[in-house]
Amino acid sequence: MTETTAEHGHDDHHEGLPGMIGHVSPWQTLVKVLITLLFLTVITVAAAQVDLGRLNIVGALGIACVKASIVAMWFMHLRYDKRFNFWILIGSIAFVAWMVGYILFDSALYQDGIREYRQANPLPTREVEPSESH
Amino acid sequence: MSTSVAEPETKSEALPERPKELAMHFDSLHQQYHAGKLGVWLFLGQELLFFCGLFTAYAVYRGNHQEMFHYAHYFLDWKLGGLNTVVLLTSSLTAAWSVRAAQLEQRKTLIATLVITLLCAGIFMVVKYFEYTHKIHIGAVWGSNFGVADADLPAALTERYPNITGEDLQRMGMGTFFAIYFCMTGLHGIHVLVGMGLYIWLIIRAVRGDFNRKYYGAVDFVALYWHIVDIIWIFLFPLLYLIG
Repeated sequence: MTETTAEHGHDDHHEGLPGMIGHVSPWQTLVKVLITLLFLTVITVAAAQVDLGRLNIVGALGIACVKASIVAMWFMHLRYDKRFNFWILIGSIAFVAWMVGYILFDSALYQDGIREYRQANPLPTREVEPSESH
Repeated sequence: MSTSVAEPETKSEALPERPKELAMHFDSLHQQYHAGKLGVWLFLGQELLFFCGLFTAYAVYRGNHQEMFHYAHYFLDWKLGGLNTVVLLTSSLTAAWSVRAAQLEQRKTLIATLVITLLCAGIFMVVKYFEYTHKIHIGAVWGSNFGVADADLPAALTERYPNITGEDLQRMGMGTFFAIYFCMTGLHGIHVLVGMGLYIWLIIRAVRGDFNRKYYGAVDFVALYWHIVDIIWIFLFPLLYLIG
């Protein structure tokens, strides 16, 4: 048959069964990845307790990007996968950045007008009864 | 004469033997696996674009109404959000582990990791349920339905800003924040529910013994989907719960 056998190639681990398809992640690696992700979560939470001004959102998003990359590279096997799948992800992220960027630019242009309108036409408010738990 | 009609099929004219898992339009299980994976990655790329619309709404509102997001984050309990983060990250580990178990034909480990992943997803939804019901109870909801009585304002908020009233928040347009909040976490929650359905399906198939070293695509692809759901939460948690 034309079927190719297991493709390990560039990988140093040869764990796997004969004739297997794909790459096997050692469980030690998976556990290390989880520990790293939990550690980064703790850092995110700790950093949010301190007021760093604009740095707060930059830092939180930066750490989130690192976490997402770790998940993609190891848990999602992109590190060992065909390159094409990696470029699908990158292409998608590029379009996300493009859309968010352009819309932010664009919406900033109208804010003065919106603010003026809102001052002239305040949002209606209404009386609210306290919930029963009080 | 008439008996010879039934014979030929089995011998000389028979096709080369094909694995029972191989769909007719593929040459080999190898090809089938990689075609499936390509399809799943295309789907996941599309999922990112799908969520991107909501992230854009978030970015635009946050960019123009910093104060709204600052007051809003007092309504969200970072401890519950953090708990859910830990639960989802753990389920990502077991999802990745289930792929490994399927590849190595460790059936018991496979079933165990699939079940743990499902349980974690369940815990996530239970926590979400408590968060949602509390918000709906006090009136911290979407659009013009938003209306929280002064007595129901979060203690942390009134401690920091003793003079703030529920009416101030209404005038600020806090309902828009909660519209974004419920859309983002709601769409994510729907993805978790779909994931739970997929894991139930995988557990049934694993118990039946469908998977082996050359045929485990379903386990792998559902895990990929599950990781994307996790990645989206990795962004939602700090954006909604933490930075105010």
